[in-house]
Amino acid sequence: MRFHLSRFAVATRFTLVEHGRNRFAMVLVAVFVPVWTTLAYLAMPDTPARMRLRATGETLAPPGNELTEISGALNAVTLITGFMMFAATFSGSGFDRRLAMAGYPRAHLVLAKVTALALVSAAVAAYATAVTCLAWTPRRPLLLAAALFCAGLTYGALGVGFGSLLRREVEGMFAIVMTSIIDLALQNPISSSGADNPVMRHLPSYGAMQASTAAGFSSTPVPGHLAIQLGWFAAASLIALVGFRRSTRNSLPPPAARTPGPGRESGTSGLPAPRRAATPSPALSETEAH
Amino acid sequence: MEVADVHHAYRRRVVLRGVDLRLRPGTLCGIVGENGAGKSTLLKVMSGELRPARGTVRHSGRFGYCSQRVVLNDSLTVRQHLMFFRTAYRLADVRYAEEIMEVLGFTGYADERAGALSGGTRQKLNVTLALMHDPQVLLLDEPYQGFDWDTYQRFWDLAGRLRDAGRSVLVVSHLAYDTERLDELWRLDGGLLRPDEAGAAA
Repeated sequence: MRFHLSRFAVATRFTLVEHGRNRFAMVLVAVFVPVWTTLAYLAMPDTPARMRLRATGETLAPPGNELTEISGALNAVTLITGFMMFAATFSGSGFDRRLAMAGYPRAHLVLAKVTALALVSAAVAAYATAVTCLAWTPRRPLLLAAALFCAGLTYGALGVGFGSLLRREVEGMFAIVMTSIIDLALQNPISSSGADNPVMRHLPSYGAMQASTAAGFSSTPVPGHLAIQLGWFAAASLIALVGFRRSTRNSLPPPAARTPGPGRESGTSGLPAPRRAATPSPALSETEAH
Repeated sequence: MEVADVHHAYRRRVVLRGVDLRLRPGTLCGIVGENGAGKSTLLKVMSGELRPARGTVRHSGRFGYCSQRVVLNDSLTVRQHLMFFRTAYRLADVRYAEEIMEVLGFTGYADERAGALSGGTRQKLNVTLALMHDPQVLLLDEPYQGFDWDTYQRFWDLAGRLRDAGRSVLVVSHLAYDTERLDELWRLDGGLLRPDEAGAAA
């Protein structure tokens, strides 16, 4: 158990260090979230926008600027988590492969990435919720934070998937931005006359959009829509996992017996002295393809 | 390490046409060949990074591979790289890695981020990560790119010490420099590996 915990802890620590040193992402979090959400709130008219909330079946008439602000917060959170995870995956796939081939358990690396994604999503969602609460008061801020968190998780996993499958950085950035824009613009009743269309149910942030709108303007519980969003997260994670497995595969099976390296385990700690006899290991492994 | 009848092609371009190779313990070997001859492909196959279209690769014990491309995490410091790979290799400590750093002359950069290092120092770290678990078989693809002359000499000294200690060391290069340091030298040409008559001390 200690073995697993220490490997998980080391991988998580360094994954978080990597995210923390992504200065551009930090600036995006600090500036983009408040600027985007505040502009959406201030620039849009506060006239009531009639809409039917599918999650509860209610017909609501929330102020247009508050509705757009929620959409802006979702857009900011999804772009930031998607970008952060894409950037880390794209630049780090060779390094992950090297670690895996050196013997780092891939399960621990994956768990570390999921943990980092959850922490990043939670922090960005909490921050976006706090910024929202400065401008107006959603009915259920915790539900709003939960919806933003689930959307962040989903786009983070999509970012990992894009990072594993796409070959050029610009392709991944474009994929994330366009996915988020299409996804959210189509669902916004202010900008899209088709926001009541059944097709909307199949968009990646449908669950989060419904839950966050309910958080803003309704008191009816919507656990099913958070579950839909988590379903999207699971599907995106599966794609990401397949990409990760593909990019870290090793065609050589590990040796049958592990021989200890330098250090206390082997009783040696220095560089080998010249003219010392070798002790070849009897364990052989083999890869074969025909 | 034994390589038998390895074939590989990138679509229609056949790169390896039946390569056989045996690395014996305590030998320092070299493979040379022109650009695009398939040296890096062969090393990728030997390291498990690439599955051959046909053929077998057998290896035993600890194994180290340093690719031609420097594979580091620019956000992490040199020390953090050592800690990460110490965990991967399941080593008790990083003293051995520190000795390699001393030999290659970059101990003063332990707390620098990889992204801020010069090309030569990045390559030193790249090599150190492949060596720090004292592999019994070591595959190095153009390992001295960016090294200054002094570091280059110390690298060969280190390779010789590893050979003397019974390790198998294979160095791949597009230039047949320093062939007198090698026990065996092969040339990869036309997808086949042949002993290079001009080089190799043994």
